[in-house]
Amino acid sequence: MRQQYAWRSLALAGILGFVGILIILQTFRIQNSPEAAVFRAQAAAYANVLQTYYPERGDIYDRNGHLLAGNKTVYEIGVDLQTAADKHAIALAVGVELGLNPDDLYNQMTNPPAGLQYLVLADYVDADKAAALQQLKATTDAQNNSLAGLEFKPHPQRSYPEGSLASNVLGFVNREGRGYFGVEEKYNNLLAGNPVQVRVPTDPNKAFDIPHVPNGTTLVLTIDRDLQAAVEQILDDSLSKYGAANGTIVVMNPRNGEILALASSPQMDLNQFWNYGSIYHNASEFDRAVSMPYEPGSVIKILTMAAALDSGTTTPNSTYLDTGALLVGGATIRNWNDQAWGVQDMTGCLENSLNVCLAMLSTKMGAQTFYGYMNRFGIGHLTGVDLAGEAAGRLKVPGDADWYPVDLATNAFGQGVSVTPIQLMMAASAVPDGSRMVTPHILYAMVRDGRQYSVPTQYAGSPISASTAQTLNQMLAVSLEREASSALVPGYRIAGKTGTAQIPDAYGYEDGVTNASFLGWGPVDDPQFMIYVWLEKPTASIWGSDTAAPTFAQVAQKTILLLNIPPDSVRKEIAKP
Amino acid sequence: MRGLSWRNFDFLLFGAVILASAFGAMMIRSAIAGNETLAGYDTRQTYFALAGSAVILLLASIDYRYWLSIHWPIYIGVMVFLMALSGLGQAAFGAQRWFQVGTLYVQPTEFAKIVIILVLARYFEKSQNDPRDLKWLIKSLLWVWGLVIWILLQPNLSNVIVSMVIWAGLVWMSGVRIRQIVVLGLVFLVVAVVGFRFLQPYQQARVLNFVQPDQTARQGAVYNVQQALIAIGSGGLFGEGYGHGTQTQLRFLKVRQTDFIFSATAEEFGIIGAIIIILIEAFIIWRCIRAAQKARDVSGAMIAMGVTILLFFQGAANIAVNLNLIPVSGLPLPFISYGGSGLMSLMIGVGLVESVVMRHKELEF
Repeated sequence: MRQQYAWRSLALAGILGFVGILIILQTFRIQNSPEAAVFRAQAAAYANVLQTYYPERGDIYDRNGHLLAGNKTVYEIGVDLQTAADKHAIALAVGVELGLNPDDLYNQMTNPPAGLQYLVLADYVDADKAAALQQLKATTDAQNNSLAGLEFKPHPQRSYPEGSLASNVLGFVNREGRGYFGVEEKYNNLLAGNPVQVRVPTDPNKAFDIPHVPNGTTLVLTIDRDLQAAVEQILDDSLSKYGAANGTIVVMNPRNGEILALASSPQMDLNQFWNYGSIYHNASEFDRAVSMPYEPGSVIKILTMAAALDSGTTTPNSTYLDTGALLVGGATIRNWNDQAWGVQDMTGCLENSLNVCLAMLSTKMGAQTFYGYMNRFGIGHLTGVDLAGEAAGRLKVPGDADWYPVDLATNAFGQGVSVTPIQLMMAASAVPDGSRMVTPHILYAMVRDGRQYSVPTQYAGSPISASTAQTLNQMLAVSLEREASSALVPGYRIAGKTGTAQIPDAYGYEDGVTNASFLGWGPVDDPQFMIYVWLEKPTASIWGSDTAAPTFAQVAQKTILLLNIPPDSVRKEIAKP
Repeated sequence: MRGLSWRNFDFLLFGAVILASAFGAMMIRSAIAGNETLAGYDTRQTYFALAGSAVILLLASIDYRYWLSIHWPIYIGVMVFLMALSGLGQAAFGAQRWFQVGTLYVQPTEFAKIVIILVLARYFEKSQNDPRDLKWLIKSLLWVWGLVIWILLQPNLSNVIVSMVIWAGLVWMSGVRIRQIVVLGLVFLVVAVVGFRFLQPYQQARVLNFVQPDQTARQGAVYNVQQALIAIGSGGLFGEGYGHGTQTQLRFLKVRQTDFIFSATAEEFGIIGAIIIILIEAFIIWRCIRAAQKARDVSGAMIAMGVTILLFFQGAANIAVNLNLIPVSGLPLPFISYGGSGLMSLMIGVGLVESVVMRHKELEF
């Protein structure tokens, strides 16, 4: 090396040394500068992740402890298109095991949507079917690996062992675990429970506690499974027998508001909740008893008569001359057969369901009094029943822009006012026993952490006096007996009222179609059940007395049987001292 | 051919290289622990290190001037390989930098840097009495660019810079004039500014990210450097312990077996470990400079100096990236980072240096 360049060598070495020192200084700086704390904090932040544990959803039982809704593990079966070696074999195996068309499966796999690497072949596959398929895959893995790429992903699913039973009461749970309709929606928070969040160390060598996540609250419903099944059967039979489009039947204990059965058409298999959209057109169809207001017709005469008696407008034995027509607010009110019925007492008004009579009563007591009673009966208000999607109906009152004087007359016999069946049941519950209305409810008790909380009866006020209730109860029983109504049940005294209501459309009322209803209860001296029947557009007969009344009798007989209610004569024998 | 004496073989240099390689294999083992796709890299690296040691001994036993005498076939051979990489249309994948030979991925670029040192050493020896004019300078540049142009086309900017730094260092050592340096500096500045727009988008992004990091970026381009800084910052004086660095073991730190192995070391062995690495590297570099000073002729000195600059620049650049001193480049930490071709080419370089230092005396008695 030429000596004159020695300084060049030194200069180069100097640069090397300088850079080396810089590097060491920077290393120290990173560890000891103010930023170092930030870096350490960031390192700590990466050291664990927040994880959420979801509780198992609470079960739902009927009042006798039969499971109505539980949980099970189902499988999503998919295929990883990257590793799927033999698509023919996969399509064949999955198709045969799950009863699907192998050709369809093969087409799905060979023409997947662009960019898709994982294809779901089937979801909500039962555990035993998935196990069979897994067994098959394990066998082939040992041989030729022809099912490589097939994947199984377990996930929880709400299961309804009774299928469609009480479906309109229960509602369902969607893929994300949220309840829709009925009890599942109303008590979603209770059933879902409280998710627990914990910080989990990402270092697999560090232990951590899996938190105790209490299950969601278990609910016990007031529903009686056997009665529910019977009522659903009767509803189905009546719909076909009377050619009705839809219908609903509710059985309630009028003393404490417990809903013993609630059937509404159409029903759905809750285990296949994804069919919801093809069964129901809108949400109010899911549970007609609470979600669908309609003009009830003569059933509401129970309330009008109660108001008339309680306000002293009339007495049971008062008579009046029915001329077949009454002019109110420029409109003529006529009876259902456009006939004059001559001299009638108040029981006859109810027995023959005379519109003119009830319109006379409501106009006589005045709008102030009439609507005051209707309000106290809860017409136009939510009952507070613990089922999702309750509708309030509509009661027009003086002062509303669309209220006319004639409404005072028509409302008295159930036109121009819309109610839900559950609303009328609550209102009528003031009549059979004492004078207190009960709030209908579906929740019998809830069980959490081993403790049971029973739901007490909630009273919704006393719109009428006890004596009025007593009087009306007898009148309604006598009117059915005098009419020889088909709602009567041999051996048991029944009180109730039919209703046949025209169906309003945009221009007035549709021709030839009606809503047939019956609201009744029994036994009259010891009321244990109240039943509401609503058949929508029956074709065999438009009259409630021909369709809803006999349906009521069927339900009442079944209820008497299942609740083990002795006949009136037997009860009186026992009651004798 | 005279008898070969191993008395002048630089055992300290050889030992330091073995030590560094062993430490590297150990750190790679920790860095890839639990990763299936990287499993076995530590074993492979050990095999490369063993083979490399043999290569050092082999090259030490051969007079380095033998390679100078066949510089043309070597030069052309490497050029053909580099052309193939840039010309076979494989650049479609962005950066194609290797040939597959069996299970080995051979990166000709790594060997090209050694060849550049060889041809420059031969050129500067041949022209040692020529005037240091522009023609002398440009001819040396042409030798380099015969290979570098293909590296640039790969595109592999990091190694172009390495090659140019080697050239600059050797030109400096051969007595380039200060005036020429000034002119070259200006030319370099113009080329850098104009050339920036011809860089690949990812290269531009790296430079821009370095100049002005995006504070909101979490997973993006600053991620790797950020994680490296966290790793170094959480190491402390003695580190979190071998196999216990959270950043390294939990794989927040990416490419931890190559580009960011220094960070992994600093996290697991602390600042002490980091300084030991720097000291080992510095020791190797010092032994190479010593060889350059002892060399009996210009070509020997140039070979030793070239290897010195190669080791220093790659090491400094790698650590500087880890410390967020310069933009991210893919340069390995000599003898420590994973990479068969890189390790082997550096072993070849050390073998050449040993060959130089063993023959620094004309006569043996």
